[in-house]
Amino acid sequence: MAEASKVVPSIWTTGWTDILNTGTWRSAIPVHQKRLAPCHVACPLNSEIPTWIKLAREQSYQEAWLALVADNPFPAITGRICHHPCEGGCNRGEYDGAVAVNALEQYLGDLALREGWSLPQPASELEQRVAVIGGGPAGLSCAYQLRRRGYQVTLLEARSKLGGVLREGIPQYRLPREILEGEIKRLLALGMEVRTNHPIEAKDLDSLEKEFFAVFLAVGAQRAKTLPQFPAVDARITDALHFLAKVSQGTVPSLGRQVVVIGGGSVAMDAAASARRLGSQVKVLALEDRESLPARADELAEALEEGVEVIAGVMVQSVVSSDEGIRLNCIGVSLAGTVPAAGTVPAGVLEPILLPGTEFIVLTGQVILAIGQEAELSGWDSVFTVGQSLVKVEANGATDRPGVFAGGDVTTMERYVSTAMGQGKKAALSMGEFLRGEFPATGGSGAEGPDPGAVVSYQEINTFYFPPTSRENKGNVAVEQRLRDFREIKIGFTSQQALTQAERCFSCGHCMECDNCFYFCPDMAVVKDASLPEHYHILDQYCKGCGSCVEECPRGAVVLKEETR
Amino acid sequence: MNERSSRILVNGNHAVAYGVKLAQAQVVPVYPITPQTPIVEKISEFQAAGEMVVELMTAESEHSAMSACITASLTGVRVFTATASQGLMLMHEMLHYASGARAPIVMFNVNRTIGSPWGFWPDQTDSLAQRDTGWIQYYCENGQESLDTVLQAYRVAEKVLLPAMVMHEAFYVSHALEGVEVPDQEVVDQYLPVFDPPHRLDPDIGESWGNTVGQEMFYRHRRDLGLAMESAIEVAEEADAEWRKLTGRSYGIVEQYRCEGAELVIATMGSMAGTARETVDNLRDAGLPVGLLKVKLFRPFPLAAVRRVLNGVPKVMVLDRNFAPGTGGFLHQELKAALYGLEQGPVVHGYLAGVGGTNVSPTVMADWVREAMATQPAAGPVWKG
Amino acid sequence: MGYQIKEEKVFNSGHAACPGCSEALAIRYVVNTLGPDTIGVVPPSCIAIISGPQPLSSMRMPVYQTTLESSAASATGIARALKAKGNDHTKVVVMAGDGGTYDIGFQSLSSAAERNEDFIYVCLDNEGYMNTGAQKSSSTPHLAYTASTPAGKLTPKKNLAEIMVAHRIPYVATATTGYPDDLARKVAKAKEMKGLRFILVLAPCLDGWGLADNAGPKVSRLAVETGVFPLYEVENGERYTLNYGSKGTPVVQYLSLQKRYRHLSQAQVEELQAEANLNWQRLQGKLS
Repeated sequence: MAEASKVVPSIWTTGWTDILNTGTWRSAIPVHQKRLAPCHVACPLNSEIPTWIKLAREQSYQEAWLALVADNPFPAITGRICHHPCEGGCNRGEYDGAVAVNALEQYLGDLALREGWSLPQPASELEQRVAVIGGGPAGLSCAYQLRRRGYQVTLLEARSKLGGVLREGIPQYRLPREILEGEIKRLLALGMEVRTNHPIEAKDLDSLEKEFFAVFLAVGAQRAKTLPQFPAVDARITDALHFLAKVSQGTVPSLGRQVVVIGGGSVAMDAAASARRLGSQVKVLALEDRESLPARADELAEALEEGVEVIAGVMVQSVVSSDEGIRLNCIGVSLAGTVPAAGTVPAGVLEPILLPGTEFIVLTGQVILAIGQEAELSGWDSVFTVGQSLVKVEANGATDRPGVFAGGDVTTMERYVSTAMGQGKKAALSMGEFLRGEFPATGGSGAEGPDPGAVVSYQEINTFYFPPTSRENKGNVAVEQRLRDFREIKIGFTSQQALTQAERCFSCGHCMECDNCFYFCPDMAVVKDASLPEHYHILDQYCKGCGSCVEECPRGAVVLKEETR
Repeated sequence: MNERSSRILVNGNHAVAYGVKLAQAQVVPVYPITPQTPIVEKISEFQAAGEMVVELMTAESEHSAMSACITASLTGVRVFTATASQGLMLMHEMLHYASGARAPIVMFNVNRTIGSPWGFWPDQTDSLAQRDTGWIQYYCENGQESLDTVLQAYRVAEKVLLPAMVMHEAFYVSHALEGVEVPDQEVVDQYLPVFDPPHRLDPDIGESWGNTVGQEMFYRHRRDLGLAMESAIEVAEEADAEWRKLTGRSYGIVEQYRCEGAELVIATMGSMAGTARETVDNLRDAGLPVGLLKVKLFRPFPLAAVRRVLNGVPKVMVLDRNFAPGTGGFLHQELKAALYGLEQGPVVHGYLAGVGGTNVSPTVMADWVREAMATQPAAGPVWKG
Repeated sequence: MGYQIKEEKVFNSGHAACPGCSEALAIRYVVNTLGPDTIGVVPPSCIAIISGPQPLSSMRMPVYQTTLESSAASATGIARALKAKGNDHTKVVVMAGDGGTYDIGFQSLSSAAERNEDFIYVCLDNEGYMNTGAQKSSSTPHLAYTASTPAGKLTPKKNLAEIMVAHRIPYVATATTGYPDDLARKVAKAKEMKGLRFILVLAPCLDGWGLADNAGPKVSRLAVETGVFPLYEVENGERYTLNYGSKGTPVVQYLSLQKRYRHLSQAQVEELQAEANLNWQRLQGKLS
């Protein structure tokens, strides 16, 4: 009986539950994955915005800049003039104001120029030669992406200097010349042949094709649109394209006291503000009403601050030109309900309804037409298909002539620098595929947009982890100062502003290793794993599929995938 | 043996306290209740005087006291507590829990009437009502026996891993002064090894206790508890024999007194056994062949011993200072069941005697013996006294 | 997270808590912070189920399962036995539900607190008897539905934290699973102290409250940000420290996530808002 005490009573618990398989309860399993941020998707260049902002937040500025220039060689330029659809897409916009991505981009771009950072040289040299026709945003972006990959690039530019619209269309008070020169110079340091004063016409294509394995055409929109009411030949009537080019060259003639700009877009505002700097009183006559002007709101606000008078919702019915001046007979119009049926009228052409009794007269000494510009494509339709005033390209930038690609204003009406650069980049990637012989028969590369579920939505952001902080904008130089000359009117971020703003980024879909998924798992089924790019793995045996890791991920970098057993 | 002990004059409860001190109980969770209090007061005095190193936990209820006893015991220390009556009732849930936990707690219960109505009197119903809780039960008739039995109870409980409760009755024993031999510590140390259970709540071992079980596991657990309880009879006999070797005192799990050739044997428990012993002597002197069976170990019930003593005895008169409405005296019922099927077994008179502490003198008891000898037993219990 | 959680692997996977269980999450930070040199006491509750079916335990430390009313007394027994054995390093922790703490276990808890017994008592408060199918306890809040209060409970939740403060024990803290770092910090702080330490952890019951499997942390945080369940600490019954309190978030945001409140009228929502405001004001009056 003394042994009784040695017998293990059946009541003691000596084993562990981790031999049990609670994973069988599950019908869905979390997956850590890098997902698309809306800013990235909205960016015409598909910039890895969350990645470089994260590096900036860590004050690894050069790494941040390197991540930025992987997609965009000109952050100091686009950081000033991009229409930044990234900020429109920013999930933080629904919360407490979009992250000031554009200003951050400028901060990094300016820092790089100050510090003299170089673009990385190609890892290896390839023998294939490619030609890029046009040294504007699309061409330079394409040339850059091809050169990065080791191709031998030749840039063919009709004018004496590279830059295109960056040099001739955008006033220096928005894009200072030293910024433009600095970024172009840095790009050229990668090593490419540049042939300036070298216009290319359609007939030159055959010989180019002999010399080069592939060709990218991006000659831009060089022909200003006109209006029939305005006399074709009158020195007092010019177009914004020429006006701004002359201003940028410093060869602008005296404008006189009164200037009228016709148009409501960014170019109209640029022309008006440039004319103000040259000492004129400026009126802008725009077809659209104030709320729907194509110009960006900040551009309009700046113009108004600088004393430009904007008369919106009007059109010029007739023009009487005399020695005393130009008389514009104007009338109020409405554009409501006048959206043209698709296919019946050329896109972008508005059909205003005249409002009788609203007639008025404007007298002026100078008219600048800023109603848009078109690509000059005469002759090119013999070498590839040209649609309605645009070269017809696949989504990947390929024309229907093998080996010939096109981008920028010759292929789109969007007329944004970043859009053109994005097309240049996309075409470069397609050209790479073409040159490697991987090109699909009917260019599918990049044809489809991302699956909507692949982009992180605001609902997937756990805002608890982001205490509200306010967005900051770039500062403005005082108006009196601005009107004195063409010096830059925006004040870029200080390092503290940049850091504060970088800290606001949700990093949508980009794991920041915050470990929330690990810490909120009641089953210890999330394991930190430094060997994985996703940083974590799920223990299939234990995960019950509750989705807490998904919910507690601040930024939508974990998704729940249904399982069928 | 006197050189290895000292004789003192103490009441029954203080004698118990001396037993606890000698057992070197390490944790004592208690809640006060008349007439148990002198036990705990004495232990407190020992502690205050530095004669005993003990964790005294003044619980807010007997339920909590017993709850703490269980865990302290499972943590691997020797545990003691004491209670009575209502206190024992309040512990009821935890009494089952303690035996299920196989915690070798020793508890002293001073038998006292259960309310309602309120009373303070000797009556064994409180502890007998706990007979199915899986505790070993001893009933004592004086302070010396209580002291000795506390020590025996530890030896048995810790061997079979079951809790044990030891009883004596309110006032008649608890507050009665008598001379008691208190053995020296080294005698007890020789008798009672250090408590060191192989399974315990200990982070170095990591085992848990009390996780929910399935049906099979529950069955196995109850069966094991039953086997341990069965084995306690032999262990208790051994413990008593060993105590006799060391101190010369022995009680048996049952005591058979002058039963040779007896026509009637009085069967009883606790202090009534003292009165019965005197009655037997008186009646033997008067020529009546009468004996006494004192049941000391009530759980596990000493079935074989009882059948051995009563085999061939024509008649048994059971005296129960306790009462279970609907059946009668506890010992009466248990004894009849124990004797069932014994070929030469006795007929059994069941007298409810001294319930509520009413006095039962040797004279009265002798009258009952004569009456029992002259009559056939009733089917059920008969109220006496 | 404000506090760097330091976990020792005590709590095992493979336990039987519901998917997304807040209580399991709380247990993780309690036992993994205390480490393996700990003995646990668990009364009947979901915690008992989570502890594992015999012979398998979800905790790599000894756990004793006791009766519903006796957790504090059971812990006392262990603490006293350890002291008797000269062991001054092993920690004792109770992990009990609100029924076993506010109701049936309150007597033994109050008594242990009065004696200032040396253990940590963690009440995993899911505001009802959830393991038996969601009946009301004295922790169930005013107007909440339970199986035994189908029209909503008529009386307010017992303020156990303040009752424990009134015992003037060394440490009382409130915590909740939406702030695991705060919970872990409080357990770590309690671990370094002696005497009775009481941590009240609001652990939303997904099933009993009517919540999605992934909503535990979220609703827990709303309880704090609406001022319904502020997180604070009190030392020696006197020194109050607020950790996380009301952000002025309307109580309706907290209520509307939970099916147990879906029967509320607008007037009742306002009543609960007023109660939350008053409780929050009272607490603020105690902050030093």
